[in-house]
Amino acid sequence: MAGFVAVLRKDLTLELRGGESTLALVALSILILIVMVFALNPAGGAADAPIAAGALWVAMIFAGMAGAARTVLAERDNGCLRALYLSPLDRGAIFLAKLAAASIFMVVAEAAVVLMLVLFFNLDFDLRLVRMLPALALGLIGFAALATLLAAISGRVHAGDLLMPLLAVPMYVPALIAGVKASAAALGGAQWSAMGQWLRIMIAFDVLFVAAGFILFEHLLGED
Amino acid sequence: MMDAPAIEARGLFKSFGAAPVLRGIDLAIAPGRALMIIGRNGAGKSTLLRLLAGLGAPNDGEVRLFGTPSRKLEAADRRRLGMLTHQSFLYPNLTARENLEFYCALYRVADSAAAIGRWLERVGLARFAAERVRAFSRGMEQRLALARALIHRPDALLMDEPFAALDPDGAELAATLIREALARGCAVALTAHRAFDLDAGRCTARELVRGRLLDAPANAASAERAEYPPAHPGVGAR
Repeated sequence: MAGFVAVLRKDLTLELRGGESTLALVALSILILIVMVFALNPAGGAADAPIAAGALWVAMIFAGMAGAARTVLAERDNGCLRALYLSPLDRGAIFLAKLAAASIFMVVAEAAVVLMLVLFFNLDFDLRLVRMLPALALGLIGFAALATLLAAISGRVHAGDLLMPLLAVPMYVPALIAGVKASAAALGGAQWSAMGQWLRIMIAFDVLFVAAGFILFEHLLGED
Repeated sequence: MMDAPAIEARGLFKSFGAAPVLRGIDLAIAPGRALMIIGRNGAGKSTLLRLLAGLGAPNDGEVRLFGTPSRKLEAADRRRLGMLTHQSFLYPNLTARENLEFYCALYRVADSAAAIGRWLERVGLARFAAERVRAFSRGMEQRLALARALIHRPDALLMDEPFAALDPDGAELAATLIREALARGCAVALTAHRAFDLDAGRCTARELVRGRLLDAPANAASAERAEYPPAHPGVGAR
């Protein structure tokens, strides 16, 4: 636990000092949202719920690709990833710390995006937004886990930097569809029960990729 | 009777593509002993140290640290290993103190605040404790990397050209730190381009030539001490 806290604290300190990841996440998210709003020209109201949900998730995915993997990629400087591998820290704990840091960065970006979404789509701050939060949280954890895993894999393969854009979205499709559907249902005023099946898919996705990262990270940090 | 080796390699082969880099390396380093691996650029010194650390996998042969295959070390044994490479393992945007605090947390160093203060003083960086590493010169970074590698008092130390980028005082400091580690029973494997006098009683030099470790380094006699620590410990230290 102490090692997990040390890695997470270090990543947050570095981010607060540099701020590249979160700033990039926030800026890109808002830009994408603005483009979507101008392209789709929403009229406002419940009918726009699917459009708003789609715009929200597109913004989250593309911004996530730009920033969520940085906690792993930054460790390549000065060979710090090797230092983590050599340290007595459990490699699964390193993955969890990286996942936690990426999730925190994405939460900040997500908060800004939701705020913009409310403004651009003329939504009310009401229970509908609260009902959307579980889908957002699950989607965010799943994407951060996938991005962290792909970032670790990218260090081991030729032209690994292409992995993220090529693989992240296709692999994330099940959670993406479920997230859009659940968010649209929530914004459209549906009850919790209408979102249940989509949330279950997202939980399964999260469990799969968090477990895969926890188990595989040890092998991905090592070298050939 | 000689102690069981802390660092041991048997029949180590490594190639990159069709090019063999290491061809049947055997070595054993007991606690309190050092092996100086001498070789030219590209001789395979860094590759050998990476394999010894378990950072890479050999094509054939086996590496053991503390009697355990190096790729399967448990956390307790990984805590006993220290490594210094060409890469400093330091975070440029953290200060010198924060970097050491991070590694102390990873290695669970007792009374870390005192240990960090002591080591910063020891490597001559106490004045720069609050400076970010990205502002350091290469030599200062190497001094901090020395502290980083030694702060948890490892029982086995792997050092890839530990005197690189250091000025004469820094090189003497590094040699003194290695001698102290040897004196407390640490096993050390280090690489260098040329032989130098580290500790005649504890250190053996071997030369890595075309992937094989030869017993007597061909250039030991022509060691140029101007670039390496002087033969007499203590001169110019700190």
